[in-house]
Amino acid sequence: MLLSKKRQSLALPISRIAPARKSLLSAAEPYLYLLPAFAVFGVFLFYPFFRTIYLSAFLTNKYGQARVFVGLGNYIDIFSSSSFWNSLWITLQFVLMVAVGGLVMGLITSLLTAKAFPGHTLAAATYAMPVAIASAAASMTFRMILHPTNGLLNNLLGTSVNWRGDPAWALLSVAAMTIWLSSGINFIFLSAGLRNIPDAMYEAAAIDGAGYFGKLWHITLPSLSPTLFFQIIINIIYAFQSFSQIRLLTDGGPGEATNVIVYAIYRDAFFNFRFGTASARSVVLFIIIMAITLVQFSMEKRSVHY
Amino acid sequence: MLALHRKSLHTTGKILLNIPMMMLILIPLLYTLSVSLMPTDEIYKNVLIPSSINLANYRNAFTNPNYHFIRFIFNSFIVSVSVMLGQMLTCSLAAFAFSFLEFKGKKVLFILILSTMMVPGETTIIANYLTVSSLGWLDSYWVLIAPYLCSAMGIFLLRQFHLTFAKELHEASRLDGCANWQFLLWVVIPLSRPALGALGAYVFLNTWNQYLWPLLVTNSTTYRTVQIGISMLYDVDAEGMGLMMAGVIIVIVPSLTVFIFMQKQLINGLMAGAVKG
Repeated sequence: MLLSKKRQSLALPISRIAPARKSLLSAAEPYLYLLPAFAVFGVFLFYPFFRTIYLSAFLTNKYGQARVFVGLGNYIDIFSSSSFWNSLWITLQFVLMVAVGGLVMGLITSLLTAKAFPGHTLAAATYAMPVAIASAAASMTFRMILHPTNGLLNNLLGTSVNWRGDPAWALLSVAAMTIWLSSGINFIFLSAGLRNIPDAMYEAAAIDGAGYFGKLWHITLPSLSPTLFFQIIINIIYAFQSFSQIRLLTDGGPGEATNVIVYAIYRDAFFNFRFGTASARSVVLFIIIMAITLVQFSMEKRSVHY
Repeated sequence: MLALHRKSLHTTGKILLNIPMMMLILIPLLYTLSVSLMPTDEIYKNVLIPSSINLANYRNAFTNPNYHFIRFIFNSFIVSVSVMLGQMLTCSLAAFAFSFLEFKGKKVLFILILSTMMVPGETTIIANYLTVSSLGWLDSYWVLIAPYLCSAMGIFLLRQFHLTFAKELHEASRLDGCANWQFLLWVVIPLSRPALGALGAYVFLNTWNQYLWPLLVTNSTTYRTVQIGISMLYDVDAEGMGLMMAGVIIVIVPSLTVFIFMQKQLINGLMAGAVKG
């Protein structure tokens, strides 16, 4: 730094402006590195975020241009429609099933592979594998498994249930498929959590004569609780965002039996061309997810114990 | 002797408990593979395992001009690789600024980027759709690539990695007369290979597996990606089923290849990315 200043001061008087220009450039330099990132975020994150809020206060034409200002009208509209509350209730059921189901799957698989045994690596790879599978591809597989006449499930059970078409089973079917799909990420995180529990704790418990389930109940689960909490939040957010399996397995039906919020947004905007109310629904979804994230942040601050 | 016996009993028990669980995870895929290899009449007869291996569905998926499968696979590759390389570049640049440079507003800008993790893509998708359609971008590679050219998760992942480098490294290179961009290009990026691998594997897979955005912004077979392609194969008749299952296997193979060969990187990427969900 000093060296370069010296060199510049030796230069001809005419180029005295050069240091000023150079320092301007070097002051701007860090922002240049950020420019591509902020260009992408600006166009595809910040701008649409505010545009969605803006649009939620308007009635639009079918090209999505704001036409009539209605203030909170779209919100009043959706909050007073039974279809919205139904969609919220269905989303809640779906989210609970997926969050808890995924967690249970992850817990079982991570406990089963917690200690090495012959074939351990293969088992661990198998349990993690669903993370690589696309939800669209998995949906097509489950379309086949759940097929009323030629599908595997009816075939094995000897039943002839119309899994995707029966309102009693449709949501459960989509949730089961989503649990299968999210079992991989649950396995990965819970395994990492299990590895962080010090062996000394188990050794102490073994000396006290604790059996497998005693250790599980008194050591594993309490030590794992921050991971379990983090993972259930991840599952909840993941479930709220599920779309492909709804679109490909049930199309939100039968009736509105699987019309979760994200699907309702899609239907509103791209079938009914009601971009205003669809935007209002998006804002509601955003607020729900933000609230869950904030709960996670505050709980994490309180419960971190390294 | 007794202890040894107990231990081997324990191991056997563990294996016996793992087998049904592994089957539960694997059955959907094995079943898909099995149906994809069946002749149509066997699908009707509800057999579980094909009597002989029949590749007609795969041949049909690849050669029947109505299905454009090769085109879809090509499109998905172009888009996934572009998004992957794009994110490696933009995230490296931004992460570098956040970890090695000092400037006004650094903290605020970083928090601004982290806060984007709280906004699920589904909530901005309508406005994004309206933006790209008003720009006339619908049905192009660009529309599939551009929105994903950067991610907060990528910046965060790389910044965490950069912060593990010794500060002296930067100072020493500056004394050697190395400009910041040269330091980034010749020192930081090569040293960040593990983190870039994690980001790359994660981003490639996520883009390959994407569904909602490509569904909205592509209409023609020219730019359609493979996930949309297979989900359009479904027909109610059994002939469609075999083809559909062959399609599923074809799209899953690249995903599984990434998973098998880059499992470690992928898991590192996932653990960083899960915060976003």
